[in-house]
Amino acid sequence: MVRLEFDPNPPGNRVWLVMGLAVLAAIALSSLIFWSYGVPPVTAYLTLFKGTLANPAGIAESFRRAIPLLLIGAGLSLAFRSQFFNIGAEGQLLLGASAATGVALFIPLPAELKLVTMFLAGFLAGGAYALIAALLKSRLGVNEILSTLMLNYIAVYIVQFLVNGPWKGRSLMGFAYTEQFPAAATLPVIGGTLIHWPTLLLGVLLALFLQLILNRSTIGYELRVVGENLEAARYAGINIGRTVLMVAMLSGGLAGLAGVGEAAGIHKRLLDPAQISLGYGFTAIIVAWLARGNPALTIFTALLMGLIFAGGDVMKLNLQMPFRVVDVFSGLLLMFLIGSEPLARYRLKFGRRA
Amino acid sequence: MEEIFSALARAMAFGTPILLAALGEVVVERAGVVNLGVEGMMAVGALAAFAAAQTSGNPFLGVVAGVLAGGIAASAHAFVSVNLRANQFVSGLALTMLGLGLSGLLGNKYVGAPLEHPLAETGFTWAAVVLSIVIWLVLYFTRTGLVVRSVGENPAAADALGLEVYLVRYGATIFGGMMAGLAGAFLSLAYRPSWSDGMTSGLGWIAVALTIFVAWESIRAVFGAFFFGLLYHLAFRLQGRLPSEMLLALPYLLVIVVLTLAALRRRQGNAPEGLGLPYERGTR
Amino acid sequence: MKRWLFIAAVLANLGFAQTEKLKACFIYVGPVGDYGWTNAHDEGRRLAEKALPWLETKFVESVPEAQAGPFIDKFVQEGCKVIFTTSFGFMDGTLEAAKKYPDVIFAHASGFKRAPNMATYMADFYQIYYLNGLVAGALTKSGKIGYVGAFPIPELKRHISAFALGIREVNPQASVNVKWINAWYDPAKASEATEALIAEGNDIFAFTEDSPSVIQTAAKKKLMSFSHYSPMHKFAPDYVVSGQLVHWDKIYIDFLTKVHNGTYTNKNLEKVDYWWLLGEKAVEMGGQAGMPINPKYIPALKAKMVKDRLTGKTVSVYDLVMSRWKAMAQAKPTFDPFTGPIKDRNGVVRVAPGKIMSIGELNSMEWAAPGIVGAWPNEPK
Repeated sequence: MVRLEFDPNPPGNRVWLVMGLAVLAAIALSSLIFWSYGVPPVTAYLTLFKGTLANPAGIAESFRRAIPLLLIGAGLSLAFRSQFFNIGAEGQLLLGASAATGVALFIPLPAELKLVTMFLAGFLAGGAYALIAALLKSRLGVNEILSTLMLNYIAVYIVQFLVNGPWKGRSLMGFAYTEQFPAAATLPVIGGTLIHWPTLLLGVLLALFLQLILNRSTIGYELRVVGENLEAARYAGINIGRTVLMVAMLSGGLAGLAGVGEAAGIHKRLLDPAQISLGYGFTAIIVAWLARGNPALTIFTALLMGLIFAGGDVMKLNLQMPFRVVDVFSGLLLMFLIGSEPLARYRLKFGRRA
Repeated sequence: MEEIFSALARAMAFGTPILLAALGEVVVERAGVVNLGVEGMMAVGALAAFAAAQTSGNPFLGVVAGVLAGGIAASAHAFVSVNLRANQFVSGLALTMLGLGLSGLLGNKYVGAPLEHPLAETGFTWAAVVLSIVIWLVLYFTRTGLVVRSVGENPAAADALGLEVYLVRYGATIFGGMMAGLAGAFLSLAYRPSWSDGMTSGLGWIAVALTIFVAWESIRAVFGAFFFGLLYHLAFRLQGRLPSEMLLALPYLLVIVVLTLAALRRRQGNAPEGLGLPYERGTR
Repeated sequence: MKRWLFIAAVLANLGFAQTEKLKACFIYVGPVGDYGWTNAHDEGRRLAEKALPWLETKFVESVPEAQAGPFIDKFVQEGCKVIFTTSFGFMDGTLEAAKKYPDVIFAHASGFKRAPNMATYMADFYQIYYLNGLVAGALTKSGKIGYVGAFPIPELKRHISAFALGIREVNPQASVNVKWINAWYDPAKASEATEALIAEGNDIFAFTEDSPSVIQTAAKKKLMSFSHYSPMHKFAPDYVVSGQLVHWDKIYIDFLTKVHNGTYTNKNLEKVDYWWLLGEKAVEMGGQAGMPINPKYIPALKAKMVKDRLTGKTVSVYDLVMSRWKAMAQAKPTFDPFTGPIKDRNGVVRVAPGKIMSIGELNSMEWAAPGIVGAWPNEPK
């Protein structure tokens, strides 16, 4: 006889196995959807493979898309670890991009200080924006998922106001863009691609650094305790409020950095919010979830999701499928990932009931 | 005077989809489930409604299809959050991604297609107002309402009393999805009337915001939707005098203010106690 | 079986595409199924492919602005020799790509940056807006005409001003009331802006937005409107009076033919800037092809008599529209709406007597013609 038995502390390998099954299930169901759209799944996946992994330009595109996902994902994995559900990365990214634009266009600085200041300003702006939600949560108990979600929309309108109003560039014939950044305020790219490598490097270093903090420092320890058991954290005298604020500052700040990278590395100006970020803030939730709260692992999971973004472009070009396929796959993946989470806490038991 | 009257009429038309979806969400959350997938369910409902009305030539069939599609989409959320007890907030988010993605993908062939027999906006508006009264009556004056509310407030106690917690939460979630689907049908059959990718343009999130803004009260939702609709209309009326972005951002800002005020009063406003918490038989 | 053929076709497309034909590729900003800009370009692409047997085309739709570069990379890899980018936002991306691929020919719609291998092109509506204005001015009862604008850019300012000049010519007291929605495609905002204009007493509508929302909203209240970009007559056959239609195929066929026969090369496009109007038949007046004015409204236009300010004769508005149309719809137009003296709405002389505005001036136009009411960002003092 086979039956399920509850196991509150599942061993690591079973968790990974269940996760792998969730990914497979998402792929299988996506195939079905491709089929119903009129594209044979084999064709879809073959096209995807040829356009991304088997093509240098496709690989470059995957890396380029992975940069914001990595920065945001690394921060979010920390936030989720401490049970601070920051859903507002999209807004924090936009604020980071705005702050960077402000520095790039309106603050006179020596050329060599320009980019550093932009990154700093982006970090602070994104962090401060997340801090609003964190303060409301730690002081008053306001649900951070709802507040960060609302803050996303407010950020969209802030950027729209800026590019349609005071920051609109004079040389752009009235179109809603700011002026282009001066050369000193733009990031170098790897020749022939759009990979702004300083941001990529920053992302990798920060992901590793956050992992180190999480595993090896008192702060990291406190953060994990707060996330795993609030009662225990209180008992151990951990300052929960302070921990929440710090996590918010870090995860918001990293999203802000991602915004700086997109503004200074890709667009070289501030523009319509829907063009600045293609939903990186939401996809990064999957990145963090796949990495199971380990910042260092987001280096790989961000690349995976970057690959899916690049694959969306390939399918659009070669199969005339709307880019929304990316949302279909992301949605299914996220749904299966969180749905399978509790399943991992059961084990198959053979034999009679004890 | 006439100007004021016309502004109010527009406020109601724009408020209708928000109201319909929010009424659904009120019931869902009263049963203790949070569904942030309103935007996705609305998109799926809008597409299903348009596709059915377009192919059959009968807009009422479209309404039925939209409602059904919304309900089906919601049942995915119900399964993941009620049976599997996963994080409801993230599940709702995934549902939004999935709903927007699916409707954008499968709706590709309907982009730009005209609808020959659109429906009147006012029918939906009155239906929404009537529904808000019906929901209020059911919630406060019937046994069903009592069951829903107790499941939301204290699922363990409700279970102990022999109430079917899972079943109630399932039913409420699917009802919420149907209402979101109806809101989508309003958009694609009456308000627009046509289909395009992303046509829900954030209305689902405003509905989620509205649910909190009106403290989970269906009657108040009518006035709340009206107020949010007025803000949207005024963004165009007051052009040149006030940046329209300010008025458009106001609903979101107000939600944060309302959440804060409720918290300041040291209570979660009217929020059901068990909101957002999965319930498992035998615990607590 | 069919499926396998499909797979084979896809593989062939990926791998060994033949390049005997001239391959032209199009990058669109919106979906081809929209009811405006992108749809019109795609229509032009299909007509060009039909007309030119040696032409092969490919397109990609809904490309975000930052993605122009990567998609151009992919197109070049697939052997595209001519690449059209059809959105202002693609300008810098196209210019960078033109430098990166000196052997490929680029053409960018609606921009102002060129290179030896990058031309610009535009089919403009200002003459038609003027004609639409004559019609609107004659038909309005309230004397208030509504305009729903996408963005306050010179292109729209030029169109709205031409519209207002036409309106005022037959109805000196009438006004054009403008609402901006800050979006190229946003049906919800477009209908809400229309509702706001209706509430303020406007009774005829024109607009710039890629959907028939304004027309549908106006028709619900039994109010007249002008179609924009695509043939939208069918969405409200009783209420669409006229409108503006585009024929991008005229430009595409001309450009590609000249590339094919060697007139245009990757070295001589620095000065190639298409600015095609009624005379080149790149644009047309009407809510659907071949119908400049909805027959339903012709009697009213024939009944309304005005004085032609050029000849001094009293004519019907219908005849006035037709004579102005004839004067503009020839290779060398004998009439231009932007002929001085023209003052702006603040009384400042913008076009000196006898002068005609140059293309450069039209392209950077920021002032508003008399009769325009509403916010006007960047208005010169």
